[in-house]
Amino acid sequence: MQLIQQLIQGVSLGSIYGLVALGYVLIYQAWGVLNFAQGEVCAIGAFSMLELHSELGLPVWLAMPVAMIVSMAVGYLIELLSFRPLENAKGTSRLIATIGVSICVRNLLRVIFGADSFAFPSIFGDKPIEIGGLIVVPQNLWNTAFGFGLVILLNLFLRHTRVGKSMRATAQDKEAARLMGINVRRSLTNTFVMASAIGAIGGMLLAPVYLFNSNLGSVIGTKGYASAVLGGLDYASGAMVGGIILGIAECLAVALGSSAYQSVIAYIVLFLVLILKQSGIMSRKKGVEKV
Amino acid sequence: MSIGKIYEKTRLWIILVITFCLPLVVSNNYWLHILNLGGIFAVCTLSLNLLTGCTGLFSVGHIAYYGIGAYTAAILSTRFGVPFLIALPCSGLVAMFFGILLGMPALRLKGLYLAISTLAFGEIAYKVFLNWNEVTNGTKGIRGIKAPVLFGINFSTYRAYYYIVMIVLVITIVLMRNLIHSRVGRALLSIRESEIAAAAMGVNTVLYKILAFAASSFFAGIAGCLYAYEVHFISPESFVSQESTTVLAMMVVGGIGSIAGSIVGAFALTIIPEVLRFVGDIRLVLYGAAIVAIIIFVPKGLGGFLEWLDQILMGKVKKQIPEEGE
Repeated sequence: MQLIQQLIQGVSLGSIYGLVALGYVLIYQAWGVLNFAQGEVCAIGAFSMLELHSELGLPVWLAMPVAMIVSMAVGYLIELLSFRPLENAKGTSRLIATIGVSICVRNLLRVIFGADSFAFPSIFGDKPIEIGGLIVVPQNLWNTAFGFGLVILLNLFLRHTRVGKSMRATAQDKEAARLMGINVRRSLTNTFVMASAIGAIGGMLLAPVYLFNSNLGSVIGTKGYASAVLGGLDYASGAMVGGIILGIAECLAVALGSSAYQSVIAYIVLFLVLILKQSGIMSRKKGVEKV
Repeated sequence: MSIGKIYEKTRLWIILVITFCLPLVVSNNYWLHILNLGGIFAVCTLSLNLLTGCTGLFSVGHIAYYGIGAYTAAILSTRFGVPFLIALPCSGLVAMFFGILLGMPALRLKGLYLAISTLAFGEIAYKVFLNWNEVTNGTKGIRGIKAPVLFGINFSTYRAYYYIVMIVLVITIVLMRNLIHSRVGRALLSIRESEIAAAAMGVNTVLYKILAFAASSFFAGIAGCLYAYEVHFISPESFVSQESTTVLAMMVVGGIGSIAGSIVGAFALTIIPEVLRFVGDIRLVLYGAAIVAIIIFVPKGLGGFLEWLDQILMGKVKKQIPEEGE
């Protein structure tokens, strides 16, 4: 029973990891760079939520979209100031630039909110429900629902809308997309802003799980890109799979009785998966290389 | 002899003399400490540069080797009373052991996937530092690391220790330079450019990749040891994964693959946050922005800028201008 309990916990946690990872994958596909600042964008979502919901007293249904808009605005600024000027730079330089952005944003949050931890309001209530001997917290159910719901919505959006299709085309081949009359510039921006919005939701849902202070972004970020790589960076839904595996691995580690080494076990799983199948679990890439 | 020629002949000595005289001019202990840290990070950045800059193996968990070196030195020194000169190579060797241990399975991985596995290693190392109470003393860390005593001289002041750091740095630079310009170094560069082509040319890529991991983690361990003796107290918080990204940033800001760049980058990113201290809490915000700005506006890194300056001082740039005009 204990085991099933932890599995449920793991899936719930993992679907949020997957959501955060989705932001990484979207940006990676469009820009070809792992955006280390994505975790901070998630943190901005969480902090905006805290500010709007707890401080200003806005109801959840209003605070959530507003917090997302704040994150999107910040995402747009990040794209404008640090991604666009480096579009043609070397991969490593771009990666380090995103690290620079994350240092910048994290410390900005620390300047504004201080280094103390906050109590994050439980958005969905935390009165446990008992289902057949299993204790389930509404937050868990909602997390899972949100995670899967958003992935499905995103997939529908990417497949069936004009904007989504042009985003996919841009991610596949910029030159070809440009020749087809797609505004690549705008598609790239759209992708970034959308990834920021998804990240903000992930941040809000993960905030109650962790110590909620200005370091939140780096914690979320680490889980996010670990999940993204685990699932395979070239396949959007892989992020979800990667996230859930990471979540389950972490929760099982707790069940096996070593909460101190929780993330160690998660990383060992990550390491083993990478060694066995190096481009991520869901990746369909064939390993043919040319000189 | 023109000024350019004289400069070309003497520039190394000028730098050495400045390095030697610097602590005689800087009297403030705080700044001496910063300079020492800069030197220590320069050793660490050089080691990362060998792995990432020269061989193209991305490491995002480099601080783990540095931490392993620091803990080895601290444990050897406080529990077994091992002298500095023995602790220094020992910490390098222990870090190297782990470097090879990680390097072997990681050979299968490339690019970002390798980066993530090194990140995983860094996180695991941090958690072990944090939780293995019997050996690392957990969150409380290890205190009471005594200053090194060499040849009867006690290097307890920052000023005295500065010379040890600089001697190790100079030795590292010489070794790195010789390594990169040797047959081994060329093999490493060929792996960075194209692994398949390198293998086709007869480079034993497996051997050389492990060699790169070993040499890199060895020097990172040495840097860690220097750090332990510099601050006399180590705790897991010094080896969190953000520190790895700091070292990575030092390398990129300095210029990837360049030895001079790594050193300048390390000193610049150690000193910038301290210079910015007067602006208060917002200094790390500016620090992050400065990294982005350097990458955008000085794409070749500070090292590239210095090389350009170097060329001008040697008078080599001037000669080319009339040629272009012809």
